[in-house]
Amino acid sequence: MTTIVRDKKYRDKQKRKDNLISIFIGFFALVWIFPILWTVWTSLRPYNDIISYGVFSWPKNLNFDNYFNAFRQMGLTRYFLNTLYVTVPAVLLTLFLGSLIAFVVSRYSFKFNLSLLLLFTAGNMLPIVLTYIPVFWLYIKIGDLFGNRSLLYNNYLGIILVHVAFQVGFATFVLSSYMKTVPKEISESAIVDGASVFRHYWNVMLPLLRPPLAALGVLMSCWIYNDFFWALILMSQDSKRPVTSALRQLQGEYVTDFNLLAAGAVIVAAPTVILFFVLRKQFVSGLTLGSTKG
Amino acid sequence: MKTAAANKKIRSRRTLSKNDRFTLAAFIGIPTLMQIIFLWLPALITIVLSFTYWNGINVGDIKWAGIANYKNIFFGTPVFYEALKNNAIWLLWFTFIATPLGILLAYQIDRKIKGHKLYETVFYIPVVLSLAIIGIIWNFMFQPGGFIQGIMGRDIGNAISIWGNYDINTYVIMGVASWRHIGYIMLLYLAGLKSVDSSLREASAIDGATEWQTFRKIVLPAMRPVNIIIVVITIIESLRAFDLVYIIYGTSTAWPLLNILVFQNFAGQGISMKGAAYAVILLVLCVGPILLYLRAVFKEDLK
Amino acid sequence: MSDTEKGISRRSVLKGAAVGGIGLAAGGSLLAGCAKSKVTGDINFTIRGNLSDAGSKIAIAVNDAYTAKSGNKVISQAVNSDDFQNNFVQIMQGTPDDAFGWMAGWRTNARADAGLLADLSDQVAALGSSLSAAAVQGATNPADGKQYIIPTTYYPWGLHYRKSTMTELGLNPESIATWDDLIKLCEATQKKGLVGYALGDKGGWEAMGTFDILNMRLNGYQFHIDLLNGKEQWTDPKVVEVFNYMGQLIPFMNKNVLDISWDGMRDLLLQKKCGAMMMGSWFANDFLAKSQEDYDDLWIVPFPEINPEHGVDSIDAPLDGIAVAANGKNVEGGKELAEFWGSKEGIDAAVAAGDTNIYISSEFDSSSYDAFNNQKLAVLGAAKNIGFFLDRDTRGDFAGPVVGPAIQSFLKNPKDLTKILDNTQAQWDALPAL
Repeated sequence: MTTIVRDKKYRDKQKRKDNLISIFIGFFALVWIFPILWTVWTSLRPYNDIISYGVFSWPKNLNFDNYFNAFRQMGLTRYFLNTLYVTVPAVLLTLFLGSLIAFVVSRYSFKFNLSLLLLFTAGNMLPIVLTYIPVFWLYIKIGDLFGNRSLLYNNYLGIILVHVAFQVGFATFVLSSYMKTVPKEISESAIVDGASVFRHYWNVMLPLLRPPLAALGVLMSCWIYNDFFWALILMSQDSKRPVTSALRQLQGEYVTDFNLLAAGAVIVAAPTVILFFVLRKQFVSGLTLGSTKG
Repeated sequence: MKTAAANKKIRSRRTLSKNDRFTLAAFIGIPTLMQIIFLWLPALITIVLSFTYWNGINVGDIKWAGIANYKNIFFGTPVFYEALKNNAIWLLWFTFIATPLGILLAYQIDRKIKGHKLYETVFYIPVVLSLAIIGIIWNFMFQPGGFIQGIMGRDIGNAISIWGNYDINTYVIMGVASWRHIGYIMLLYLAGLKSVDSSLREASAIDGATEWQTFRKIVLPAMRPVNIIIVVITIIESLRAFDLVYIIYGTSTAWPLLNILVFQNFAGQGISMKGAAYAVILLVLCVGPILLYLRAVFKEDLK
Repeated sequence: MSDTEKGISRRSVLKGAAVGGIGLAAGGSLLAGCAKSKVTGDINFTIRGNLSDAGSKIAIAVNDAYTAKSGNKVISQAVNSDDFQNNFVQIMQGTPDDAFGWMAGWRTNARADAGLLADLSDQVAALGSSLSAAAVQGATNPADGKQYIIPTTYYPWGLHYRKSTMTELGLNPESIATWDDLIKLCEATQKKGLVGYALGDKGGWEAMGTFDILNMRLNGYQFHIDLLNGKEQWTDPKVVEVFNYMGQLIPFMNKNVLDISWDGMRDLLLQKKCGAMMMGSWFANDFLAKSQEDYDDLWIVPFPEINPEHGVDSIDAPLDGIAVAANGKNVEGGKELAEFWGSKEGIDAAVAAGDTNIYISSEFDSSSYDAFNNQKLAVLGAAKNIGFFLDRDTRGDFAGPVVGPAIQSFLKNPKDLTKILDNTQAQWDALPAL
């Protein structure tokens, strides 16, 4: 009898504590999201209002004008296209190459398997600044080799390749972790049936990799989309830059019209945020596979 | 029958057709070649260049310098120690404040307190934003004429200095960096927590242990692999810190970090191979955490 | 690197421009009957800045005028100035635009030595006597005697203020002749609730203007140039004195000096929140873009005399112009465009688009100068010696990475001066030979 009463008291106390915790975290969360809310709020107010009445004035107009103007004046469409040209091939190529290594390393026992895995995983963690100037020089030299300086420099291909190089390690690691959980029997029967290595990979393993590939695809799209640094170094033409790098130029252009800039920032942030909301499960599982092992 | 099949298996496993060997070579070769050309070769070049004098333009101008660049950095460049100090502050802040907060948040959210789904989303959103956008958002908040200044009733003329005020700018920068880092750690830990057997926790609760004791004695030890990952990520993120500070300060070393020093010296108006030396120093600092990560993650394979 | 020869020749720049007439003939010859083939093809031009800036609109207007004359299309793009400069060496080795706005001095000459810039000597010669000998000298690379930049505009660094603000305060900046006068002016401004001496040094270079002028006033032009070229020591008591004077100005500066860049400084003046502002006059275009009233309210006076031995005989007057990339796709086109910028038609197009800068070419009729420009000329005319500004008069790997942070450190902690100067000298000593 007393145990039950004691339990109930304990549970009630815990519940009250929990409610307090929830409120506390809730307050924290409000502070957390406030800067974003403020930016969105700023984007909905016309610039003239702020000039005339100050930042904290009660809104006379709330509209999406800034958003229309942002698209029109900032040339966002072109920058978004650039982002697409870079992100999609980079993600696909990363997943493809990562799956190749992961496949070989987990299905065939070569002596160098572990070294390869270590090499790839470590590569993912190198500081970018270690490589960016030599990458630039390499691009110029390789371009000269083929007679076209713009083969890699100031070219989507150049940025795609460098993103792939940096991300393929993570993809390899995640995919090989996952492949370890795929029963060896499937592979063995395929080999017994006389499948070539290629068939083994393409027809047998690849279809089974849908979950981690999806998860990785979501994560990588987010990371590559968000990068702004490489394009600053490797693209000399502003019109070819992805949308996140273009923001820097726009920041200077519209530094006085921050309502317009706010709208621009919201537009650029939208894709990844929407991606996160819609594909949250993939996001989380991608990180899970990458951070915890088995 | 059985023997024949078994023999066939053994044969298949041992002998790969020429086609297969070619495919395997390609499978391994192409990605590896890519990694070497675009990642390891440039890194090697940087390391070699850190021992030279060069202005980055004509290859014929490269002169051997031995450890002169390093000597210059360690004995002649006070801003280097300022940068190290800032990287250290970053590391300490992340280690003792940001990461623990992330873990705590993860734990509470995992207990499914009221509103946990909403909270999970809110805390994670900064992580999916590009740092370019984060820079813009926080500039809005702090710039003369922005929200924080407005609250204090100051316009552009008497706006108090935030980024340039050395008493407070470190905290502000750490705050903004944590804004992102906490959500990241939170999600990683949440994912790991799901793998902790909940029956263990319930049993501990029934035994009368407080939440805190449960966390310390049951959950934390069970999360050991994740803990190591979290530690390594915390260290590496502090060392790699760059984007945010670059957006706020450009290449001026008003608030120096190792990465900013690399950029300032390796690019810019006067290129010098001191930048390469800074990059190598950064690499050396990262080697420890990277090895730790590799060991933790490949523990079984390494045995 | 630099020497008195450069100093003397720049001195004549003023004389030529101030008189508004023909300066000494530049090397004499018109381009000797060289039949140039017609340049065709698109030309790419980089504007440093933002498309919404007044400067960009002017650039586009000049490029359009060129297109109208030659039929060649000019494709202009605006690039963040800092990013362009930070990645300059990479961009020039990669796929640069053909022509771009650039700065005379070390930034042109060192890059020319490295083979990144196209030789513009022919174009300079073609512009003939419209460029005084001094102008040509300013654009010449002392290493090989050739020119790699077409000089176009220049401007003085001086104390700017708004006439209306000064009238309201009952002060007269034209009457400051000595250092004490300046301090008194700052004090009076401060008392009325405005910033006495506006400064924004977030970019690391803005405060060099103050350093330069103090050094030139206290120790003379020769010492300043020698210091920047390693012939004098940063630990010299003369340099310490310069910083001591700068320290006297700190109480009158806005509290957020390290928080704002040059455009923040400009905004302080634009919004009537400060008294004097030490800056180069290029920002005047922004005032004009805001309103004619604002532009008319702008005025400049030379920094006052401190040491009677040197009076007000020196000034920073950076020379800007157009340079052409050696690796561009259309080098000849770039050269032709650059020459156009320096010619009468180019200058006329710029002025028509609202450019308030002073052009060094004698083609520009200075009788049409407005009051502000005449005042700029007067400020320039008072000086015998011209500097190009610290970060153009010395090595790039010294100005930005060493001197900039040194001055910032000083503004942060004036008490650390000895340490800062010791280190600056050590850094100079450690620089590899060029």
